Amino acid sequence: MGFEWPWQYNFPPFFTLQPNVDTRQKQLSAWSSLVLSYCRHNKLYTMNLMEIQESPLFNNKKIQRKLSLESVQVVLEELKKKGNLEWIDKNKSRFLIMWRRPDEWGKVIYQWVSKNGMTNSVFTLYELISGDDTEGEEFHGLDEAMLLRSLEALQQEHKAEIILLNDSRGVKFF
Amino acid sequence: MHRRGVGAGAIAKKKLAEAKYKERGTVLAEDQLLQMSKQLEMFKTNLEEFASKHKQEIRKNPQFRVQFQDMCATIGVDPLASGKGFWSEMLGVGDFYYELGVQIIEVCLALKHHNGGLITLAELHQHVLKGRGKLAQDVSQDDIIRAIKKLKVLGNGFGIIPVGGSYLVQSVPAELNMDHTVVLQLAEKKGFVTVNEIKSSLNWETERAKHVLEHLLKEGLAWIDSQAQGEAQYWLPALFTALYAQQINMDENGGPS
Repeated sequence: MGFEWPWQYNFPPFFTLQPNVDTRQKQLSAWSSLVLSYCRHNKLYTMNLMEIQESPLFNNKKIQRKLSLESVQVVLEELKKKGNLEWIDKNKSRFLIMWRRPDEWGKVIYQWVSKNGMTNSVFTLYELISGDDTEGEEFHGLDEAMLLRSLEALQQEHKAEIILLNDSRGVKFF
Repeated sequence: MHRRGVGAGAIAKKKLAEAKYKERGTVLAEDQLLQMSKQLEMFKTNLEEFASKHKQEIRKNPQFRVQFQDMCATIGVDPLASGKGFWSEMLGVGDFYYELGVQIIEVCLALKHHNGGLITLAELHQHVLKGRGKLAQDVSQDDIIRAIKKLKVLGNGFGIIPVGGSYLVQSVPAELNMDHTVVLQLAEKKGFVTVNEIKSSLNWETERAKHVLEHLLKEGLAWIDSQAQGEAQYWLPALFTALYAQQINMDENGGPS
């Protein structure tokens, strides 16, 4: 299924950071939601800066416009401010992109668990993201670091407990 | 030769004649006035009869509505002037335009974040139609313009700017003078303008062109594209979306791209 670009993607000045504060705010929020929906569509969880700047996301070959590295950084910082992004390394070249925040993922997973009457059962992390049972669920194929965060969020709500199973980790839902 | 009348007697006689003429003149004028107001009265009565008879068509058919409005305008009747009174009660047109006005405001507010408060009449029309649903009475662009003119009562927020063959509707109280309007008109075909285009088309000094473009940026109506070849382009989202929609339609219908 093809990705549906928003109209701004073909609007040439979208690729130039706007000087007007109000306009720039609109621009950044449009970029933020574009980045999130793009990553969601392509199931992207961790990326690095150079890679994403060269990807079609920030580089529209059809109209020959490209968002500059500095502007990409501004967009990513905006996403960080909103809680949708975390830098993995200190010099900010790799990041975790969270098109669903951990607590939102937690809700999705917990919904699946309770719908299937599997509260009080134990799962390995591998089972949850790669097992046959979760095939077709949205969280199938989720990045493990991301999964762990979501489970931590559930743990805080006392809906799950992360446990050690032999040498790997598992989770029990309540 | 008859001797010309002189002396007091002649003057008195002349005054009497003048007074008589005057009197007669007044009577004539009064007659004429009476006649005219009778005619006007009749026209009004007929118009009222016509209106009540064709109430349904006027409400339903936008073309019919335009012609009816024109007819009313020739005798100085404004069916939209107030919510009360014969006309709006008879036709419900007052309500119709108020309702439409509210819908226009809703559309403009909803789209403001992307066009900065400037929209082509055609796009506004489309959105209003979409919002009204299929069962509601049809609305023409003329109706929308009329409704917007009514909205002006609420302040300077709404304005209509003619560009090319169409109109731009402005829903934010940005100060736009003739210079700005002319530049918007220039941008209409392509969705953008540049300093040099303004200079060559309008014979302006660089400063004047820059000043106008800066103002459009400041008001959030224009976006700058500094990756364009040659010089910076100033884009109007309001105009771009209309052109972009056309482009998509052409691509989908396999037309020339």
